[in-house]
Amino acid sequence: MELLILNGLVNGLIVGGIYALVGVSLTLLYGVLRVVNFAHGEFVIAGSFLAFVLFSSFGVPPLLAVPIAAVVFFAAGWGLYYVLIPRLARSDDPELMSFLMFYGVSIAAAALLLLLFEADSRTIDYTFTPVSMQVGPIYVSTARLVALAITIVVSIALALFLFKTLPGKALRAAIMNPEAIQIMGVDIVRLSAFAFALAAALAGVTGVLIALVFPAFNPFSGAEYTIIAFIVVVLGGLGNPVGALLAGVLFGLAEQMATVFLPQAMAQIVGFVILVGTIFFRPSGILGVRFKR
Amino acid sequence: MADAVLELDRVDVAYHGDIRILRGLSLKVRPGVITGVIGPNGAGKSTALKALYGLLKPVAGDVLIDGRKVTGLPPWKFIDNGIALVPQQRSLFNELSVEDNLRLACWSFRRDRARVEQALERAYVQFPMLRDKRRDLAGSMSGGQQRFLELGRALALRPRVLLLDEPTAMIAPRVSAEIYEFVHGLPGQGITVLLVDQNVRQCVRISDHLYVLELGQNKVDGSARAFQQDAGLRDLIAEWVDYRIDA
Repeated sequence: MELLILNGLVNGLIVGGIYALVGVSLTLLYGVLRVVNFAHGEFVIAGSFLAFVLFSSFGVPPLLAVPIAAVVFFAAGWGLYYVLIPRLARSDDPELMSFLMFYGVSIAAAALLLLLFEADSRTIDYTFTPVSMQVGPIYVSTARLVALAITIVVSIALALFLFKTLPGKALRAAIMNPEAIQIMGVDIVRLSAFAFALAAALAGVTGVLIALVFPAFNPFSGAEYTIIAFIVVVLGGLGNPVGALLAGVLFGLAEQMATVFLPQAMAQIVGFVILVGTIFFRPSGILGVRFKR
Repeated sequence: MADAVLELDRVDVAYHGDIRILRGLSLKVRPGVITGVIGPNGAGKSTALKALYGLLKPVAGDVLIDGRKVTGLPPWKFIDNGIALVPQQRSLFNELSVEDNLRLACWSFRRDRARVEQALERAYVQFPMLRDKRRDLAGSMSGGQQRFLELGRALALRPRVLLLDEPTAMIAPRVSAEIYEFVHGLPGQGITVLLVDQNVRQCVRISDHLYVLELGQNKVDGSARAFQQDAGLRDLIAEWVDYRIDA
């Protein structure tokens, strides 16, 4: 039993780290742009497919796919921002419209992935040597440990950026007070494009990690990650990046521990219980910072 | 030189397509003096200021800087033109330190370290309290201190024009008096001021030129002296803003 619990904890951390990244990118988008990205899961899964193509067609190992995905998705996000958001800004209720628009983008993106890769589940056949490592009394696959290490590095880099650099502080300032940041002479359009690109880059990197951690993915896996992202964002408090990181890890741990203690079918609903519970009892998220609209 | 550093020329502003908040409003910010804007609640004072600063786009009419049409210029370009705004709603970033709030105001020249340090120093000299609190979170300060941080932040950039929207709303009376004295002294430092205010008495006292707005339109305007001396104008203001100006 102790081994099972220990296993649950380690895997909870690994999976939770991925959930944290999925959530933090979505919460940045909402915080800065007030855009509800219902296509976030598809962005993430597109990252998994990028890693798949890089490895199966060009022999690029997943570790190298991480920086490539970051660059490719950053550029794609920057472009997509200018295609999508200015249209959105002209509507009477951009926030609500963003939800509908990105729902459409989500369907279109899933369809595009289906067209390119067909409905089969894909997996990356890359194996690290050694295949697994001993962590205390248990064995964990090297791929999962590598993913955890990357998650930690990315999270620390992101936190340093947001809290120690002026552009990072400007991003947080835009979340705190979107009108005031413009008065400071900050071009909110460029800053928003950057936030969109950064969120896309994080989503792409997360996709590569998902390809490492989970056995398989297909063009329809996106929706699942969108739901997870929303749970994490609500749990962490809307627009709160630190909250999202913590909430992702908490959610991953809860989900994995649930598989230890609860029957399989019950474990599935843990996420929704957390989501509903948060909305009922702690609507401003675990860190309790009230979000100013 | 144009007779106004900043100007609204027959501006209409509408929300949701057809609800007109401003109708043909014209307003000139005259150089070197304090221009006051008063009027009852809902007269469109804050809307006029937002239109002046590019935060709202007019559906008709023009915004001019130094006589040049700049209608549609986004708000982040105004600071480059030497025009700073302290809005009515708190414009601080509560979870950033006082110093980070000041540094963000230096965004457009953030790579010029010497200039940034100069700007910080200017704010600290103007309001020494800010230096003591520079590592505190902006949101942890009192209302009056926050207002001084906003003023210090705007003035650190050495603007030639400062737009103020109800600078003493929700501020304790003693601190209010201090703020009005400070604003009154700004033209002496070469700074042109536009003051939008609910506090008619103080606004009339320190302004050189006054606009009275009503229902998004110009009601009347003239020199503050005329407002103070002309009994007819006094009664008019008393009627429109429900406040009597003491002669």
